[in-house]
Amino acid sequence: MKIADVLEPDHTYCNVPGVSKKRVLENLASFLSEDKDFATDTDAIYQKLLEREKLGSTGIGSGVAIPHCRVAGCNKITGVLLKLNDSIDFDATDGEPVDLVFALVVPEEQTDEHLQALSAIAELLESPDTRARLRAATSDEELYDLATSAEPT
Amino acid sequence: MLETNTIIFLGGLLFLIGILVNTLSARLGFPLLLLFLVIGMLAGEDGIGGIQFDDFETAFLVSNLALAVILLDGGLRTRMDTFRAGLGPAGVLATWGVLVTAASTGVFIAWLLDIDWRLGLLLGSIVGSTDAAAVFNLLRQSGIQLNERVGATLEIESGANDPMAIFLVLLFLEVILSGEQSGGVVAALLMLVQQFGIGAVAGLAGGRLLSASIGRMRLADGLYALLVTSGGLVLFGAVNLIGGSGFLAIYLAGLIVGNRRARVAEHVKRVMDGLAWLAQAGLFLILGLLVTPSHLLEYSLAAITIAAFVMFIARPLAVTTSLLPFRFSKREITYVSWVGLRGAVPIVLAIFPTMRGLPDSALLFDVTFVVVLTSLLIQGSTISILARKLKVIVPDKAKPLDSRELWISRDNFIELLAFRVEEDSPAVGKNPAQLKSRMAGEPELVQVVRSGKRLYARDALHFQVDDQVWLLAEPGQSDTIADYFSEHRRRGELAASRFFGEFVLRGDSPGADLASAYGLDLSPTQLEGTVADLIRKGKARHLVIGDRVALGPIRLTVREMAGDEVLSVGLKLSS
Repeated sequence: MKIADVLEPDHTYCNVPGVSKKRVLENLASFLSEDKDFATDTDAIYQKLLEREKLGSTGIGSGVAIPHCRVAGCNKITGVLLKLNDSIDFDATDGEPVDLVFALVVPEEQTDEHLQALSAIAELLESPDTRARLRAATSDEELYDLATSAEPT
Repeated sequence: MLETNTIIFLGGLLFLIGILVNTLSARLGFPLLLLFLVIGMLAGEDGIGGIQFDDFETAFLVSNLALAVILLDGGLRTRMDTFRAGLGPAGVLATWGVLVTAASTGVFIAWLLDIDWRLGLLLGSIVGSTDAAAVFNLLRQSGIQLNERVGATLEIESGANDPMAIFLVLLFLEVILSGEQSGGVVAALLMLVQQFGIGAVAGLAGGRLLSASIGRMRLADGLYALLVTSGGLVLFGAVNLIGGSGFLAIYLAGLIVGNRRARVAEHVKRVMDGLAWLAQAGLFLILGLLVTPSHLLEYSLAAITIAAFVMFIARPLAVTTSLLPFRFSKREITYVSWVGLRGAVPIVLAIFPTMRGLPDSALLFDVTFVVVLTSLLIQGSTISILARKLKVIVPDKAKPLDSRELWISRDNFIELLAFRVEEDSPAVGKNPAQLKSRMAGEPELVQVVRSGKRLYARDALHFQVDDQVWLLAEPGQSDTIADYFSEHRRRGELAASRFFGEFVLRGDSPGADLASAYGLDLSPTQLEGTVADLIRKGKARHLVIGDRVALGPIRLTVREMAGDEVLSVGLKLSS
């Protein structure tokens, strides 16, 4: 699975205020609930993301977090990429604050696609070069282009 | 006069050669012990040295002394918390396992060489125990990190199985020499219980005593190790004299002393490093000198067949039956079977019959020697490759470059730690204040050394790659801080992200929540338990780092433990 399959330009946000982990999750939920492919409200998405965080933080280290969940009423695998203005505490594995957030929300029944998409995102963000380039992005378009073009062919 | 100086000269020369080729052997993955054995053989009567040495009594004395020191050092280095996963399996291997190896090998030898069955069993018992010197040395030299269950089992087994082998050897020796059919099963069992019982009780008590005395006494730093060594030797000799197992006693005493946090523990371990090395080198040198290589050829074919039988049939049989109740995985059983390293102990045991004047003892000695050589050569040089193949290794933990304990009172210390800032580590570009706020216990920066120059520890300073950073920290923090300065290996099987997976879960989170997050199909019992329980099911009772389970498309791996509690579990997608 490719990043372009799950990420759309209008779900890519450069320089969003971070504030706190809670605020980031709330923002993600509200961005998604506005999408036409979602027949679900902001709070339901927020609760699901929160539930997943309770299993263990999705902050995977090196300033990256990949919050994710399955949601009823979602019709399409949807990613949201945020580059935060300020690094926030995300209880990440390595304790480092997070400034790159790539969230993924999938329809309840698409369990296999869920894992494949997560794999692709984790692989993308594993490269220190890619992370550095994403952090240097100055606009939503640039961030989107970098994220979708950086993946290995 | 001449002879004294010649002996000193030759002895010194042999050790010197050994030390010089030490680095070479580590690089080639060649067992160091084998090297000393070969140097000894080369220096001996058939080799270039031409030294005549067949004084079995001196060799016997030296080798017992050396074994005692090696076991003491092994005990000092065995961390009590690894006992948790290894004690049960090692205990069964050290008793039942030795019995199975000895009996099956004995029967095979009697049949193969067409000798009296009692002599066969005697030889089987001689090669029945794995060797502490070989196991400790090779596992540590190999640079691999075995999972704790396998590593602890192998180390504790090798330290604890000598009493059983010695007991069996003495038993069969007695049977043969006295000409009786069997010396009475009850008497034999009584002797076994006595060996283990006295050894265990005296070892634990002696260890307490030693540990208390090094805590109280004021001595020059270098003397503490000698105090522990001499105390250990007193214990070893005394326990042997009253009919217990001195080997078991000195191992346990080392274990107690090594696990007590004390101001001088660090000094003791540093000095013991050298002493144990000297003991191992000396032991193998003298055994190499003792053997007459040209005699070995006489029985070499039979001996190699026996070695193959021990490696491929007897040991696997012993390990499989011993580990059955402990639910080791097939890979783990295979690995433990393969690392049944024979070493100095069998050779020393083979000297017993000679000392007692048993006819045919030359046969025993020469066959044993070849079995040991074969084992060290074949098994010893493949322990790393096989560990990787069988996946019984876990990623190494980041470690400080250097650590010193600074004792601030009799019971409290802080640690002075040095780290190198590695490329891509979280520390690069950070300043001391950021470091301090990130870590529990607020480690205090002492100095930074950059390109050989000392920099003032100001907050304006930013860590750069290759800086050497010295910190003062509370005990127990060094692993977390080391992580901060180290690059997480990104390539290969052992890269943390590949080994443990992309995500980290709390060990105590409910299995039901995991199932619902990823749409997993779990059984009702799995749903009721925690994430850690998902891995525990059908596995050994004590989990260790690296234990894993595949659940449909995902894989869970134990990532962090605190005692018996699973702190975190790695989640790998699409296993």
